[in-house]
Amino acid sequence: MLQQDGNEDTEDVSLFDTEEETTNRPKKSKIRHPVASFFHLFFRVSAVVVYLLCDLFSSSFIACVVTIILLLSCDFWAVKNVTGRLMVGLRWWNHIDEDGKSHWVFESRKASAQESKTVSEAESRIFWLGLIACPVLWVIFAFSALFSFRVKWLRNLRPGSLNLHAVVIMGVVLQGANLYGYIRCKVGSRKNLTNMATSYLGKQLLRQSTGDEQTS
Amino acid sequence: MAKAAESSGDPGTTSPRPLMRDLKAVGKKFMHVLYPRKSNTLLRDWDLWGPLILCVTLALMLQRSSVDSEKDGGPQFAEVFVIVWFGAVTITLNSKLLGGNISFFQSLCVLGYCILPLTVAMLVCRLVLLAEPGPINFMVRLFVVIVMFAWSIVASTAFLADSQPPNRKALAIYPVFLFYFVISWMILTFTPQ
Repeated sequence: MLQQDGNEDTEDVSLFDTEEETTNRPKKSKIRHPVASFFHLFFRVSAVVVYLLCDLFSSSFIACVVTIILLLSCDFWAVKNVTGRLMVGLRWWNHIDEDGKSHWVFESRKASAQESKTVSEAESRIFWLGLIACPVLWVIFAFSALFSFRVKWLRNLRPGSLNLHAVVIMGVVLQGANLYGYIRCKVGSRKNLTNMATSYLGKQLLRQSTGDEQTS
Repeated sequence: MAKAAESSGDPGTTSPRPLMRDLKAVGKKFMHVLYPRKSNTLLRDWDLWGPLILCVTLALMLQRSSVDSEKDGGPQFAEVFVIVWFGAVTITLNSKLLGGNISFFQSLCVLGYCILPLTVAMLVCRLVLLAEPGPINFMVRLFVVIVMFAWSIVASTAFLADSQPPNRKALAIYPVFLFYFVISWMILTFTPQ
């Protein structure tokens, strides 16, 4: 009996130890999708850089505008279809059903015990940093275009040039859309967790109270 | 795009090659515009990549080579953008106010994709303008633009008409007519000087 207990104890202890090892191993801060992380930041940052340094890149303003539009589009597609799904397990899309009504769906991947499916902290930080910082920059550019603050190469343009406004508005709209979509995914997932937690607590309380009744 | 959500549906995002899926979807929609048939493809799986590509192509082709184009790029580029997107949004709002049951982005999708014939007309016009100017030159361009304008109207009404209440169809189609007319006008009156 004692031996059995001893074995059980050691078994319990060793199981506990391995669990601790798994959680203590720095797997969560490893970047699992380096290519996705790179491209997540590359397109957004390049668009901002091209916008600010257009003077240096090309003498033709239209080439800059087309480049920025191209970079913004690639960034929108990449973040919506690839990097959000891979880096933080979130996705959002629009669905038209049989009646022709449109629904917006915001989903987040359920946290599972599998190593490969959990979200790594480093990737999550990179994702949200890139997702939030760039639209903020574009909004700042929008205001400055509106009020024509004197950035060096802007001096060449007529204040309030339509091209400038078109590019900046596009930046705000595209990057803002992704930001909004992913925030709704995140908020939705948190609500689900809260609901699950409250229903679990509720069940526990009920069990305890009925248990008490039975024993007493 | 959204241009908010620009690519269609979920079961798609789990596909291993989302880029090919999206490119194929855009190509399929272009085909549907060229050969308008009663089909739900443009409506059900909407995306705004096609309209973006067409808009940028059209805006680039409508560039005048003006002297200070390096400094400014000329207003024509952004003008085309503003006319296309603002026009499409206005038509969509109009059709929704008339009681149409089409969603905002679906309508933008159809209107944007149906600019394809006019973009082809612009291409042809630019080629024709390389030849010597004259009345024949103008007649050829006029003919091409009128044919493509009619094609755009037919394609867009094929997709949009069903979603309008029956007694309001003319009211809903008239702004579409005006929209493509303005674009055709820009194409016809284009001179590269």
